[in-house]
Amino acid sequence: MYLYLPVALTSINILIPIGLGLAVGLLSGLFGVGGGFLMTPLLIMFGIPSTVAAATDSNQIVAASVSGTYAHWKVGNVDFKMGLYLLMGGFIGGLAGVELIKVLRAMGDAGFVIKITYVLMLGSVGTYMFIESIQSMKKKKTEEVKEEKDSKVAKFLRSLPFQTRFEKSGVTHSVLVPVVLGGFVGVLAAIMGVGGGFLMVPVMFYILKMPMHVIVGTSLFQILFTCIEVTFLQSYTNHTVDFILAVLLLVGSTVGAQIGAIFGRKMKGDQLKIILASIVLVVTAKIVFDLTLTPSLLLSQAGGH
Amino acid sequence: MKHHSRLMKFFVCFQTLFILASFLFVNMASARLSAKANHDHITVDSFYHGSTVSVRGVSDPNTDIIIKITSDEGHQVLRERGKVGGLFWMNVGELKIDHVPNTYFLHSTKNVEDILSRDQINKYVIGYPALKRHVEMNASDEGEKTGWFNEYVKFKESSKLYGTTTGQISLTEDKGAQSYYILTQWPYQAPPGHYTVTVYAVKDKKVVETATSNVDVEQVGMVKSFANMAKNSATEYGFISVFAALSAGFGVAMVFGKSGGAH
Repeated sequence: MYLYLPVALTSINILIPIGLGLAVGLLSGLFGVGGGFLMTPLLIMFGIPSTVAAATDSNQIVAASVSGTYAHWKVGNVDFKMGLYLLMGGFIGGLAGVELIKVLRAMGDAGFVIKITYVLMLGSVGTYMFIESIQSMKKKKTEEVKEEKDSKVAKFLRSLPFQTRFEKSGVTHSVLVPVVLGGFVGVLAAIMGVGGGFLMVPVMFYILKMPMHVIVGTSLFQILFTCIEVTFLQSYTNHTVDFILAVLLLVGSTVGAQIGAIFGRKMKGDQLKIILASIVLVVTAKIVFDLTLTPSLLLSQAGGH
Repeated sequence: MKHHSRLMKFFVCFQTLFILASFLFVNMASARLSAKANHDHITVDSFYHGSTVSVRGVSDPNTDIIIKITSDEGHQVLRERGKVGGLFWMNVGELKIDHVPNTYFLHSTKNVEDILSRDQINKYVIGYPALKRHVEMNASDEGEKTGWFNEYVKFKESSKLYGTTTGQISLTEDKGAQSYYILTQWPYQAPPGHYTVTVYAVKDKKVVETATSNVDVEQVGMVKSFANMAKNSATEYGFISVFAALSAGFGVAMVFGKSGGAH
């Protein structure tokens, strides 16, 4: 059955957005990522204009992340205190990122810098996470060396002022740490035009030392607020949110997020990390192919990211 | 003097008769070509997935037919991709085109170049090469214009908004008149708006007659309401979109929570 989308001005088989929503919602519930990096290009592939795809995706992420956050909150896996500090940093970083884009554009080839940064960031995070997860799963005797490295970082973090206890995550940090890290991810997310879940999850694991299951719930909590803001701004300024498409996507994504949360609880932290690392590496490879292979069309609709 | 006056009256009468006869002849000739699009008002509702448009009419015998369906001309901006550093494909600029229709379909009984002179092709903007000459583009030279225009056509054809066919128009002769007919698929990608169907009767490498008809595509019902709201009541639309997403997310979470999904 086909439905006509009033803002995208195209017709789509309803099974496509529902199926895409289900698949991306599953990832969201499993790993605490919004899934915009996957959904937006997939929607464009199915004929949705890029501007509408990006804006409508934010709307469906609101539904998937509220569904996922609720599921994780019910089992005590959301650190609201940490989430709020990260959110605060993310908001400031987002504003700074927007200004940075203006500077990069004024300097010239901003697109090139952004894409290369994206590939390097995702590639290095994915590779590190993948190798670390395999080592951790094999229980190699590298823990002593790692502990020594960690202790240097931990020492520096402990030396910072405004130390506070994050009960849910079982860690103590200066409030500056989540604010600064949230800000850093916010800058990168604004520059790259993605939600930042893929960067936030490794940051929470490797630097904030939060348990993997709490990371997923807390990341979704943060993504929820970011995407509410983006959806509203896109509706208000660009008129590019397609309500009908969003409803079809969120029918799938809300259910997918719940299934993902159920599966996530049954999996070990290392298993989650290795799957997430694999997806990050596949996405990186896809971007590298997009950058180097000759595209079939040399023109595209203006707008979007 | 009297003789001169009679001669003048004769000339005036002759001139009047000649003008009247000329008008009559022209009117008779243009009355031969007619054009009618069957679905001249396409309504876009929630279940719209494109439509069909047939164009039929009558023309002089032994004339070839060209049917052009276009939207109004306007300004378009597209992103150009190019190689940076000899390795990476990136967005390298914007292609700005003026006097270009968003939708352009051309159907002809024979190859346009075989039945029309180049001057006539350009005069009536028939076919992609003529359209290329007609549009204005931010290109530095003719070679660059040709390259990007070809890419533009490729992009539009992939979006189903441009297309050409040859030999799809059927012609039948009956009682000294020729009937033509074509049935075309109307793509759902064609946005709401006003489209002009122009039919050209062609003989001896010239357009001998033209006739026009219209196709109007209009959104109706829920589709129209949502499209209007997104444009004209953006604040309410934004709130509704966020509220619906939050409600759906909570709703599904509650259902799963009760059924034991989240414990």
